[in-house]
Amino acid sequence: MKKLTKLASLALALPLTIALAACSGSSTPSAQPGGSASGGTTGSGKLTAWAWDPAFNIFALNEAAKVYQQDHPDFEIEVVETPWDDLQTKLTTLAQSGQTDELPDIFLMQNNAFQKNVINYPDLFTDYSASPVDFSQFPQGVVDYSVVDGVNYGLPFDNGTAITALRTDVLEKAGYTVDDFTDITWSDFLAKGKDVLAKTGQPLLSGQAGSSDLIMMMLQSAGASLFDAEGKPTITNNEALMKSIDVYAQLVKAGVLTEVNSWDEYIGTLVNSSVAGTINGVWILGSIQTAEDQSGKWQITNLPKLDGLSGATNYSANGGSSWAISSNANAELAADFLNSTFAGSTDFYDTILPSSGAIANWSPAGKSPVYSEPQEFFGGQAVFAQVLEYAPNVPSNNTGAYYYEGRDAVSAAITKILNGTDPATALDEAQKTVEFAMQ
Amino acid sequence: MRVEQRRNLTGWAFLIPAALLIALMNFWPMIQAFILSLKTGRGRRLDFAEPLWYNYQRLFADEIFLLTVQNTFIYLIVQVPIMLVLALILANLLNDRRLRFRGMWRTAIFLPCAVGLVSYSLVFRTLFANDGFINDFLMGLHLIDSPINWLGQTGTARLVIILGLLWRWTGYNMVFYLAALQNLDNSTLEAARIDGAGPFKTFWYVTIPQLRPIILLTAIMSTNGTIQLFDESWNLTQGGPAYTSMTMSHYLFELSFQKNPNFGYAAALSYAILLMVAVLAFIQMKVGDKRD
Repeated sequence: MKKLTKLASLALALPLTIALAACSGSSTPSAQPGGSASGGTTGSGKLTAWAWDPAFNIFALNEAAKVYQQDHPDFEIEVVETPWDDLQTKLTTLAQSGQTDELPDIFLMQNNAFQKNVINYPDLFTDYSASPVDFSQFPQGVVDYSVVDGVNYGLPFDNGTAITALRTDVLEKAGYTVDDFTDITWSDFLAKGKDVLAKTGQPLLSGQAGSSDLIMMMLQSAGASLFDAEGKPTITNNEALMKSIDVYAQLVKAGVLTEVNSWDEYIGTLVNSSVAGTINGVWILGSIQTAEDQSGKWQITNLPKLDGLSGATNYSANGGSSWAISSNANAELAADFLNSTFAGSTDFYDTILPSSGAIANWSPAGKSPVYSEPQEFFGGQAVFAQVLEYAPNVPSNNTGAYYYEGRDAVSAAITKILNGTDPATALDEAQKTVEFAMQ
Repeated sequence: MRVEQRRNLTGWAFLIPAALLIALMNFWPMIQAFILSLKTGRGRRLDFAEPLWYNYQRLFADEIFLLTVQNTFIYLIVQVPIMLVLALILANLLNDRRLRFRGMWRTAIFLPCAVGLVSYSLVFRTLFANDGFINDFLMGLHLIDSPINWLGQTGTARLVIILGLLWRWTGYNMVFYLAALQNLDNSTLEAARIDGAGPFKTFWYVTIPQLRPIILLTAIMSTNGTIQLFDESWNLTQGGPAYTSMTMSHYLFELSFQKNPNFGYAAALSYAILLMVAVLAFIQMKVGDKRD
């Protein structure tokens, strides 16, 4: 029996020890993530960072580290590839449980999610007020995404300026050039789009069904948004929104915009030549350029503007992201690193531009000759310089903390409108949905 | 100590570690989640709600939540019976000793279960894309003239999710039935045959009653799983169009991590799901368990 008792006590003790070890394991090593402990003089030490795209922002971060290492040989960076959805989930979980010591030094954040995160979880961030970054060298509209109560929380990285990219070979068949689509209104665009469709059988645009990206771009192009200055939803009686939805519905009904169901299908329509163009953030050029057989057949121009609306422009933005410094960072080192690369090195931007297509928001970078080089893929057009010309004209976008609620409610409304619901009714419902979510 | 007492003690000693772990890792968080469900506020600024059951009250006024309940129950009511009947039929067919390559058939039907939820959802999404295999196939047979927008319409989007669930889980349930069938006393089946019962009658009056406990088990497991369905809604349709294929768990995830985080409300929602699972399991036990 003695043996049995021993065995039993072992059975009791073993899993418990394992469990306890597992529990304590999570709290001990967290004291030094990102090596912020190594402090010392500025310029040496190791930073950890979260970003999501190996060909784009992670690549940029690693290149930035190389630039920074030239003056600070002891500097190191460790980038953890974290898809955006996961990054947001991680941030929320860490903030909610108060485990901010698990944060990396730097993380990248979608511009549209910035307000929400700063307002809900201010203890995730170190703001830029103590940093040397000169934010006046970035377009105001882009900086505004990450400003809360007059304080900067993000350093703008990639440019989300919206462009219209068009297939010149298709336009030519229909007797048009890109100039015919420059500085036009949406009604022109629709008329010409119908003509192109009739003559070539190709729609001008494609988009994900149930995604309101295009509508959001139209809204922003008129300086409008789904929220007023106090953050209250303004989905009903919103003239710009009504007009945008009307344009969208007409595009879909005329077949000038073809709807697909997923992002992959959307990219597919571009690279398979099933559509003759697209309207999106400039980062879409990266995907377009994967179709090497279409080299020389693309050009870009600005967006159509909404008809008869005061404040309507031909410029907008979609997406884009900014660097945040976490509350668990070696803040001085992180700020110095970002300031001397993303906000201070033309060499750096010159290196990342050709291979990743990451266009700077930092205005001095645009003066570099690399930006004005003609791009073969775009029929010799200097697309990067072109985009930098558009960027300062983009109106600010008031995202607020409830941006995603608003966007999704409007997406649902569009689906209903396209299925025959009266627009005003559908938007009233959307307004109610957002108001309910904000209660 | 008497032998019996000692034996009891040993039993407890074996039970306690696991019980403690379950209490610590499962029940304690559940209690905390319940407390959380009584709080309201965004992010970490959480306070006890006024009245305390505010979040639960809110559920009934939330049209998106009610829609997701409806969606989830459509999946449940359509998919679970079809799946279990199919699994029973398949199990019965594959239990036939005269069938050749039984091992291969069984493996083939069970195999979907070994596929990751995300990867199979993505495969289904590709299959049912506008220019996907299913549309190409149907157009090739001239059954349809233009591609069907499977995932873009409410009815077909739900259908695709149900098809996905059937493909993924039928084999899983079949294995339970197969195992149970192998434990059946063959003499009962022989007796039925001698008494002149055809294959259908044998199946209905002899096999099924003996499988009752395992049918109950699979019914409860499938109900439980379907009510907590997340991956298919998230990966296949993203809940669209306009929330009409979104499940409750998907909405819960949105509330916590994608929208302005409202953890109190999300916790209340998780308790609503728990309640539904519990009530349904209770009903099934009452209906299915004829032991007394």
